[in-house]
Amino acid sequence: MIKLKNVHKKFGHLEVLKGIDLTVEKGEKLVTIGPSGSGKSTLIRCMNGLEEVTAGEVYIDGHRMTHKTRAALNRQYSSMVFQQFNLYPHLTVMENLMLAPVKLKNMPKAEAQELAMQNLKRVGLAQKAQVYPTTLSGGQQQRIAIARSLTMKNPIIYFDEPTSALDPEMVQEVLDIMVELSHENITMVVVTHEMGFAREVADRVVFCDGGNLIEQGTPEHFFTNPEHERTRAFLSKILR
Amino acid sequence: METIFSAKAWATVWQYRATFLNGLINTLQSAVVGLVIAMVIGFAIGLMATSGRRGLQAVARVYVEFFQNTPLILQVCFLYYALAYSGVRITVVVVGFIALGLYHGAYVGEVGRAGIQAIPAGQFAAARSQGFGYAQTMRYVILPQTVKIILPPMVNQVVALIKNTSCLYIIGGADLIATTYNFVTGASTGGAYGPAYLVGGLLFFLVCYPLSMMAGRWERRLKARDQMQKGGEQA
Ligand SMILES: Nc1ncnc2c1ncn2[C@@H]1O[C@H](COP(=O)(O)OP(=O)(O)OP(=O)(O)O)[C@@H](O)[C@H]1O
Ligand SMILES: [Mg+2]
Repeated sequence: MIKLKNVHKKFGHLEVLKGIDLTVEKGEKLVTIGPSGSGKSTLIRCMNGLEEVTAGEVYIDGHRMTHKTRAALNRQYSSMVFQQFNLYPHLTVMENLMLAPVKLKNMPKAEAQELAMQNLKRVGLAQKAQVYPTTLSGGQQQRIAIARSLTMKNPIIYFDEPTSALDPEMVQEVLDIMVELSHENITMVVVTHEMGFAREVADRVVFCDGGNLIEQGTPEHFFTNPEHERTRAFLSKILR
Repeated sequence: METIFSAKAWATVWQYRATFLNGLINTLQSAVVGLVIAMVIGFAIGLMATSGRRGLQAVARVYVEFFQNTPLILQVCFLYYALAYSGVRITVVVVGFIALGLYHGAYVGEVGRAGIQAIPAGQFAAARSQGFGYAQTMRYVILPQTVKIILPPMVNQVVALIKNTSCLYIIGGADLIATTYNFVTGASTGGAYGPAYLVGGLLFFLVCYPLSMMAGRWERRLKARDQMQKGGEQA
């Protein structure tokens, strides 16, 4: 579904990704972990073309991701949930969900509205359809952002630290929804520090450090006997 | 020369009230057409300046710096004589429209640029991640948010533009300042400086002050709303 071939990414002189090879299967739940600044966000942003790779190639379902194909590929294949939610503040919750399906997928308004309502129910916020997102708590906003992603009906959802900006008491409500989503055939690529989530949901965990994928394997492998010293050091820090 | 309290001078001004009103109407007409041109140019400049393309950004920069760092009155003269010498037959009024449009286009462009840059990068990222292209991202996500932010500075631009129609007197325009000036130096009406300038100024004030008030109120309301939202997030 997603294929990265020798992906390099530089910001000026700073090389953030140093030749990443990675394949994500259809329906796979991939969790990416790693220290701050290791390139996790950049990796995910290269997958949906928010960053242009400096060298190497990204393929989505066999189609090469470039700045020319980005709009069409994202429209058809993927959605993203951000650390800062990034809901559209000038639109109501309902309008946030309907905008892209109606404008980009030519979904009839009535259909989009019904689908949006279903997804709002799913995240437990149907009663908030008509309010503006800035009136909601962080946890609620993130649940709306997930509902917005679902309303695209796309096969891939990227999550970039979806719970890192939340107050502790709101983390669980978002994780619960993500766990529930993981039972579906959606391809999920998740950057997170929530090891409980990784353990429960991940088909595969990759550890990213210094712009390289240092180690990958099942959660089982990671939490029982990680191979690399750097992986062990990182895990011991965050599992403390 | 009459004093400001001279009843005769006031009487002359009153007698020629239609002339003043006509000047005001000409000023407003120049302002409106100039504003439309300025908006079109400013829109283009604002988009170019935020496009992320070096070439377009350079063009926008040069345009803005050129028009912001030379006096409008000089631009008016230059345009008038340049056009006259190149044989273009064009009325003073149209020269006025173009000069005001070009000059204020630079300022409107800067206001637009600042407004677009005030939108958090996450909004662009969200729109792109959903598959919106550049034009759609701007149309559906960025500009609707920008418009709210830039309304107060835009209204201030309108006020500046109305006042700047006064530069058109130098090429013989029929705007309010030119009218007032002609009035006080006219053979039959001359001398009533004080009353004439007071009336001219008052007319400008009556148009500009409500606009400035509106801009101020708008800005305070936006600030209050931002405060409320910040409070809401912390709560
Ligand atoms: N647009 C950019 N311009 C310049 N440098 C950037 C840009 N985006 C990221 N970087 C740099 O690239 C490096 C990797 O950033 P990235 O955001 O991918 O890390 P991360 O693993 O997601 O970290 P975190 O856990 O803090 O989110 C960092 O050093 C960062 O400063
Ligand atoms: Mg990150």
